Amino acid sequence: MTWIFENLGRVFLAFVATTGRLFLFLLQALNQGLRPPYYGRQILRQIWEIGYLSLPVVGLTALFTGMVLALQSYTGFSRFNAENAIANVVVLSMTRELGPVLAGLMVAGRIGAAMAAEIGTMRVTEQIDALTTLSTNPQKYLIMPRLFAGITMLPFLVVVADIIGIFGGYCVSVYRLGFNASLYLEQTLNFVEIQDVTSGLIKAAVFGFIISLMGCYHGFTSKGGAQGVGKATTHAVVSASILILVANYILTSLLFEQGVS
Amino acid sequence: MTPKFSLKNLHKTFGTHSVLRGINLEIFPGESLVIIGGSGTGKSVLFKCLLGLMQADSGVLEMDGKNILKENAQENEDRLKDIGVVFQGSALFDSLTVWENVAFRLLYAERRGRQESKKIALQKLAAVGLKKNVADLYPSEISGGMARRVALARAIASQPQVLFFDEPTSGLDPIFSSTINQLIKKSVKELGVTALTITHDMTSARVIGDRIAVLYEGKIIWCGPAKDINKSDNPYVQQFIQGRPD
Repeated sequence: MTWIFENLGRVFLAFVATTGRLFLFLLQALNQGLRPPYYGRQILRQIWEIGYLSLPVVGLTALFTGMVLALQSYTGFSRFNAENAIANVVVLSMTRELGPVLAGLMVAGRIGAAMAAEIGTMRVTEQIDALTTLSTNPQKYLIMPRLFAGITMLPFLVVVADIIGIFGGYCVSVYRLGFNASLYLEQTLNFVEIQDVTSGLIKAAVFGFIISLMGCYHGFTSKGGAQGVGKATTHAVVSASILILVANYILTSLLFEQGVS
Repeated sequence: MTPKFSLKNLHKTFGTHSVLRGINLEIFPGESLVIIGGSGTGKSVLFKCLLGLMQADSGVLEMDGKNILKENAQENEDRLKDIGVVFQGSALFDSLTVWENVAFRLLYAERRGRQESKKIALQKLAAVGLKKNVADLYPSEISGGMARRVALARAIASQPQVLFFDEPTSGLDPIFSSTINQLIKKSVKELGVTALTITHDMTSARVIGDRIAVLYEGKIIWCGPAKDINKSDNPYVQQFIQGRPD
C-alpha cells in the first residue's frame, strides 16, 4: 500500500522540481534577454519561422474548422428554426475560442517541436557551449528572440485564423446551405464586438509565450544525444498543448469575470 | 614566471561520484600543454571547469592570477574574449554559413560590420587551408575534416591569447588527423598563444604538446616535457602510451 504514496510523492516532488527549474530558467532568460545587446537577425528569423511559415497550417485548420462549424450549427439549429444564428455562432466561436486555441495547438505542434529539436541538438552537439565561449549569452541569442516572436506572432496568426475561419463558415453557409451572402456578412459584422477579438488576441499572446517557453526550456535542458532530443521534443509539444488548454480556461474565467468576455 | 593557468587541489563531484580529486597543474604563457587520459578520467570535466562552463566544487583555479571560480557570468564572458575553443565535434552553428561561423564573435560579440567580418573570416579560412568557395556553404555541406578546420579558423578569428582544443582529431582519418595536428602546431606558434589540448591520441599529444600531463582517476599522475613521457616509470602512463589492454 505504501508504494502508492511513495510513487505519488515521487511524482509530486518531480513536478515541483521541474516547475522550480522552469521558473529559474524563465527568470534567467528575462534577466539576460531584456538587457542589450539584442540580436535583430535572430528576432527576424524567428518572426519569419513562427509568423510566416505557420500561416499555411493555421490557415487550413481555421478554414476547415469554420466550414465544419457552419455545417454542424446548421444541423443543430435547424431543429428549432434558428438557422439565422449560424453567422453569430461562427464569428463568436472563431474569435473567442477556436481561433486562438486551434492556432495555439497547431503552432505548438509545429514550432514548439522545432524549437525543442533545434535547441536540443545545439545542446547535445556543444553548440550552446560554443556560443558561451564566443562571448555570446545563449539566453540572449537563443531564448529571447523566440519568446519575443512567439508572443508577438501568435496574435497575428490568430487574426488570420479568425478571418479565414469566418470565411470558411461564410462559404459553406452561402454556397452550400443557400444563405443570402450580404445578409450573412451583415449579421457577422453587426454581431461581433471588439472585445470578442481582443480577448482572443490576449489568449493568443499568452499561448505564444507558453509555446516558446516550453520549446526553449525542454530543448535547452535536453541531454543524452538523439534520444534526449526526441524526449525534449515530445515534452515540449505535450506540455505546451496541455498548458494552452489550462491557460485557456483560466483566461476565459478571468476575462469573463472582468466582463470582457 | 606567472602561470597563465594555475590549478590547486581542484575537486569536482557529481552526486557520489568524484571526478576530479585534487588536480594540481600550472600552464605557462606561450606553452602548449596536452592533457591525456583514458575515457572517463575527467578530461572533459576539467576542460569545462577551465572554460567556466562548469563550476568546480573546491580548490583554486586561476587565470592570470585571478581566481575564476569566484567570477560572475559577466566576468566569465569577458574572460572568454581572450580564449578560442575548438570543440570535439567542431560545434559549428548549422543555421549559419561557414564564414558566419568563423566570424561569429566578430559579428555578434564585437559587433563589427559584415563586410569587415567576412574579410577577416576569409583570411582565417585561408590560414587553415580552406578555399574561398567554402565560405558560403553551410556546415552540413562540408566534410568532418573541413568542419574541424573551420572550427580552428573560428577559434583564431579574434586573435585570442589562449587556445583550447577538445579531442581535436577524434573521428578523423590518420591523414586528416596529421593535417589538423600540424595546423594546430602552426597556429599556436604563429599566434604565440598558450594552448591547452585534451586528447587520448598519443600521436596528437606528441606533435602538439610542449608538455604532457597524464590524468588518471581524477588526478594528474605524471607531468613533464613531451619528449620525456616514454621515460616515465608510472605503470598507467606506460600502459596508456603503449596502448596495452588491462
